[in-house]
Amino acid sequence: MNVRYMMKELYYQRRRTLMSILGLSIGIALLIVLNSLSLAYRQAAHVPLKEIGADITVQRSGDVPKDLAGAVFPCSAVTIHKEEVEKIQKLPGVRGIGTGLLLWVFDPNRAWIVLGIEKENSIGPSLLRSSVTEGRFLEDGKPEALVEQAYARQFGIRLNDTISVADKKFPVVGFVDASRAAKIAVANVYLPIKEAQNLAVSSKELQSVSPYAPGDVNLLFIKADQEKITSLASEMKGILGNKATVATPDSFLKLLGNLFALSDKFTLAASLIAIMVAVLIAFKTMAGNIAERAREIGVLKAVGWTNRNVVSQLMSESIIQCFMAGILGLLIALVAAYGLSFMKVNIPIPWEMSPTPHFLPGGGDQIFKTLRLPVHVPWSLAFFAIALSVIIGGMTGGLLGRHISKIKPSEVLRHE
Amino acid sequence: MSKSTILSGTDLSKKYGDLEVVKGVSLTVNEGEFVCLVGKSGCGKTTLLSLLSGLEKPTKGRVSLDGREITTSSEDELALFRRDNVGFIFQSFNLIPTLSAWENVALPLFPIKITSEERRRRATELLEKMELGHRMDHLPSALSGGEKQRVAIARALVNHPKIIFADEPIGNLDSGTGEAIMGILNKLHKEEGVAILMVTHEDELAKTANRLIRMKDGEIMS
Repeated sequence: MNVRYMMKELYYQRRRTLMSILGLSIGIALLIVLNSLSLAYRQAAHVPLKEIGADITVQRSGDVPKDLAGAVFPCSAVTIHKEEVEKIQKLPGVRGIGTGLLLWVFDPNRAWIVLGIEKENSIGPSLLRSSVTEGRFLEDGKPEALVEQAYARQFGIRLNDTISVADKKFPVVGFVDASRAAKIAVANVYLPIKEAQNLAVSSKELQSVSPYAPGDVNLLFIKADQEKITSLASEMKGILGNKATVATPDSFLKLLGNLFALSDKFTLAASLIAIMVAVLIAFKTMAGNIAERAREIGVLKAVGWTNRNVVSQLMSESIIQCFMAGILGLLIALVAAYGLSFMKVNIPIPWEMSPTPHFLPGGGDQIFKTLRLPVHVPWSLAFFAIALSVIIGGMTGGLLGRHISKIKPSEVLRHE
Repeated sequence: MSKSTILSGTDLSKKYGDLEVVKGVSLTVNEGEFVCLVGKSGCGKTTLLSLLSGLEKPTKGRVSLDGREITTSSEDELALFRRDNVGFIFQSFNLIPTLSAWENVALPLFPIKITSEERRRRATELLEKMELGHRMDHLPSALSGGEKQRVAIARALVNHPKIIFADEPIGNLDSGTGEAIMGILNKLHKEEGVAILMVTHEDELAKTANRLIRMKDGEIMS
């Protein structure tokens, strides 16, 4: 392989070189964009759960009491017993567990969505600590409340006011901006979980349809090994029965209803098509280019180049062209990915995870978590695409070189 | 084969399908000899040149070049043999359009492991001999017909061949330039002692050769 010859050939045959590079780069760009897009949807599907520090949420649906008075459970989140939580905690792959107790409280003049939270657990709604806009977060062992700031504004609740929830008094110690947090596990009022549990224990209506003991909860937030999420989801359903709702990134992905989000197979098939198109374009363009050089190859052989010399020269040219095509394809894909990253994606939050009673204003509306599609090109994908380009170049150059090197110099060098 | 024979073809035939282009031809070229193969267009002289230079294999017969039987050699063996022993000059020059004059001259040296400086030195030396020292970095498209052919002659000489095969070397040149090229070939043969087998259809050119071989319908007439 002669580098000087190779570089001059690529430089002086610019039209040929550009055609080869452009053709292949489009295929490579397509491959990168398809995979980046698929990855972006996958990452987007993680966001609603990630925002509450979990990989899986678990709840169980049940019945609502006939009389909506005092503290009741939403029909989508009834009792999960302490023993069941312990069983789930012991499952291999579960790295941590957070709990919550969601209540609807119907007082004579107001309905509250109340969420009892574990103050110190980094998994679950206690992440709201960073969303406190005024006052402070809940402290240990104190019967106090945090109020969602929009709700507080609507009902004129001020810091240090005392609110009455199911006949129990709670001083308001802070306001929290729940709109910054995930759309799941949001409430009007946040209490220490112990206080919420006390409300549940003393509620006859709640006990009548969903027996509840101290220490039970109705929301689980689970941190798990990524590769075990799917298997854990089915094991949890086994423990909690068929009324359990287990939300995972995959279940959010399915809700997106997008081809890229729906199926790995679609991305794989589209990627394969992109690669095949890229290979065909590279092969066809280079085959044309090399055929135009039959006479030149004849000269090389006449002056003493062996078949191997010819093949390695053509192969090196092809590898360099395809490498450049890979780089160009990557640049095109980076620009496309930047453009696509402005796209907004609406992730629907399943009604079971929406805490607002459907019979209250806005309760029946579909809730979405809206975010910018996190499209980016991972290094591994970029390296793969470049390596693939080089392999395509090597194979194309090798195959075409072997074919053309069999040419007889006497056939192409006869004078016209 | 006598000691001074550099090239020997014995009973050479070449068939393309049913068409026999070369018919049982035998000939020899001695060391330092300038032989002209003359004949009308289509009489088989270029095919015979291809057979004798190892560019093509005969249907029948044997070729010995510098004492080596080449008819049974593989493609790659023949290529290596040509690189070390043979020079070619073609009617249409056959220079590589993307390479400069000196790079075209050095083309047979590209696969050999020598430094780029050495390649350039050898090419420069030959181009200066051809009075093209000032055109070394020019592409073929910037050279005249005569200059192109002088570059091709330099390329044929770069590997110090024992024999040069020239196929209508001035067929594409005007008469003045053609004479100059013939002058160079004559000088090469006389001063460097390189054997030359030249194919031409012009009797006039053959006058400068040591020996004239006439071909007609694939056979040697005289």
